[in-house]
Amino acid sequence: MVEFDPVSLLRTLDRHDVRFVVIGGLAAVIRGAPTVTTDLDVVPATGSENLEALTAALTELGARRRTVDDPDGIAFPIEPDLLAVGQSWTLVTAFGDLDLMFQPEGTQGYPDLVRGATTEMIADDPPLAVMVATLPDVIRSKEAAGRDKDRAVLPLLRRTLEEATRRRR
Amino acid sequence: MISAHLIREARLRAGISQAELGRRVGRAASAIGRWERGQVAPSLETTFELIRAAGFEPSVALARGDQHDLVLIRRALARSPMERLATAVAAANALGAIASVARAHRG
Repeated sequence: MVEFDPVSLLRTLDRHDVRFVVIGGLAAVIRGAPTVTTDLDVVPATGSENLEALTAALTELGARRRTVDDPDGIAFPIEPDLLAVGQSWTLVTAFGDLDLMFQPEGTQGYPDLVRGATTEMIADDPPLAVMVATLPDVIRSKEAAGRDKDRAVLPLLRRTLEEATRRRR
Repeated sequence: MISAHLIREARLRAGISQAELGRRVGRAASAIGRWERGQVAPSLETTFELIRAAGFEPSVALARGDQHDLVLIRRALARSPMERLATAVAAANALGAIASVARAHRG
């Protein structure tokens, strides 16, 4: 089993200058939700330069397509043009599962999410800061996705948001 | 403020502007903005009216209160983002290791 190491995943994306916003369960964790997740969801920008950078990062990560039948992944040609035509990619990498979503449910993708996102320091030695979606935006996408696993965590996320808002006052 | 987040979420998911939402309920865009920023708290009835105007049906259910969640939330919020991430990743990997052992015993 590959150990889940989202910091190493994010360092690789950062080293290749990929523009992206962290969303999903890991964004919720970084925002203070006491939950556990085993994959990293990111929303990349869609420009050609960014897709080139993303391709280089995924190649370095040894990304393979994750399927129900083959959790270790299936090799696929990692190319900018191919990445561009998929709405989402569920991948397994050297550092664990990575989901790329160009337009998560209930959002308009990177330009929509980056407006509210903030830079959060998630590792030191050396320091690593990444753009993280706001908790309201994470809730918005999970509410829109409407899958059972999303619905199950929504009450906890809403309560975290309520408590975080109360503490800021 | 829950109402503020719900109104903003409904409007953004509908892909409409504050002006358009205001037009649908006969209110100024500035009023929508004040509600979304939490400067003014609308009544529950008004919140539901706005959600419906965005094309969604609000749903409310009562559940038993669970103070344990609040304890965990406050503990997580007291940590830095870096500490929250490290804690969650350690938990995920520990759960993964337990699942692997369980699978090996079944096999």
